[in-house]
Amino acid sequence: MKKWFVIALLIPVFASFAHAQTGTKKRRPLPYEYGGVVIGNSSANAGFSPVQFDHWLHRAKYTCRLCHVDIGFAMKANATRIKAADNMKGYYCGTCHNGKMVHGDRKIFEACATKYTREDLKRCSRCHSKGENVKQDYDFAAFTERFPKERFGNGVDWEKAEERGLIKPADYIEGVSIKRPALAVQKDFTIGAKVETMPEIIFSHKKHTVWNGCELCHPEIFAGIKKGMTKYTMVEIFEGKYCGACHMSVAFPTTDCQRCHSKPVR
Amino acid sequence: MIHARFLSALVFLLSAVAAEANWYFPPPPPPEEFGNLLIDRTSTKNKVKPVTFSHWSHRRKYTCQVCHSELDFAFKVNVSQITEAENQAGKYCGACHDGKIAFGHDKANCGKCHNGDRGYGKEKFPELASLPHSRSGNRIDWVRALEEKAISPARFLKVKPSPGIAYEKTLMLEAEWDRVPPAIFPHKSHTAWLECANCHPEIFNIQKKTTKHFEMKMNLAGEFCGVCHMTVAFPMSDCKRCHPAMMGWQ
Repeated sequence: MKKWFVIALLIPVFASFAHAQTGTKKRRPLPYEYGGVVIGNSSANAGFSPVQFDHWLHRAKYTCRLCHVDIGFAMKANATRIKAADNMKGYYCGTCHNGKMVHGDRKIFEACATKYTREDLKRCSRCHSKGENVKQDYDFAAFTERFPKERFGNGVDWEKAEERGLIKPADYIEGVSIKRPALAVQKDFTIGAKVETMPEIIFSHKKHTVWNGCELCHPEIFAGIKKGMTKYTMVEIFEGKYCGACHMSVAFPTTDCQRCHSKPVR
Repeated sequence: MIHARFLSALVFLLSAVAAEANWYFPPPPPPEEFGNLLIDRTSTKNKVKPVTFSHWSHRRKYTCQVCHSELDFAFKVNVSQITEAENQAGKYCGACHDGKIAFGHDKANCGKCHNGDRGYGKEKFPELASLPHSRSGNRIDWVRALEEKAISPARFLKVKPSPGIAYEKTLMLEAEWDRVPPAIFPHKSHTAWLECANCHPEIFNIQKKTTKHFEMKMNLAGEFCGVCHMTVAFPMSDCKRCHPAMMGWQ
């Protein structure tokens, strides 16, 4: 009996070590690492390294909604449960990575196969590259060199890069996407901050719909389509919900506070 | 039974250690060495002397956020992956130490950093004698120096941040111990040097009352306030600067 009492006394001592989640500073991902996703639901079963997917290359060529709405990728790594068999049937990565589709002046290499030669293995490792020493076709530094700069994330101001015509992300794939008539977008509006004297957020639908359309956020991430219906806090955003679905991992990170909290306090 | 007694003794000992950790302050370095570091992640391994770095010589010209946000230096020594190659490519130290803004990375200058001498450059310290005084750390009141415009450190190098958030709320942090008066936390004197994300949400969660284990023991172990206040910003042995109503202490 006494022994349990002593153990119970010791628990808070150890718990204080276990719970030190805050109080320290984490390392910030390097520009080329930002937006990187490691996908490995079943790679190991097939004897492959997990897939290293980099958003920076794809987002320069395709809009977000093309993959996340039309093709149907989830917004969380490993939640899509991509299988080689589905890729080969032309779903997910296989929608474009089929050895036939052309982007610019090059054919998009084929993803996944049931039979492959030793030579083909090189193609496997173009995606299944986590922890492998693979030389990729595109070098981050060279690829982003001319793009306008920003402080965090990939160090690239993607919005300006598109405005200046340096990237032209495609928003349509024959047979997958539908032609959507452009919706009239409402004007930028403010979202009140909960903390007194904290500047209000200026939210721009216009900036978001360029790449996302409506369906990427509504109704799943933001159920309410009426202002003020969806209640959320910064804590939830930091947990990867609401704005944090993108602005923690791919879009400019929440560490750039004043980019959203930008309305001067009266 | 003996086992149980041993465990109780251990608990007693651990709580004694824990109590000690609440008021153990390391002996202060001389003012001209406060905030100085020796960086030795790979230097000694590569047979060069560790790098000396002085916060006081840098913070008179640049705010904390220039190096700790824009250039992404970690808040802990030997954590940032600084290499000669990165510096040569204009990252980390090389962002300024390029031979134009500040002395460059050429052979003649190696010894200016790679000298293993924590007190290197102290002959320049008297240049700061005209700044407002304080009684701890560098013996300089950096916050007042900035307010009074005795120094005008830059807020960015290359990429201009959007206008900062002028959040000026002063928090009153109630102490958990009896007879310890509350600590006063002014956002304003922090945002003058830092940006929000330097502290939030990693060091301090932003939801009220959810910053757990925020106590002196953790501060003294280099977490929370202790990330800066002991190493660079005024040390916590200067109790009254945070707990102004503290009696019987300095």
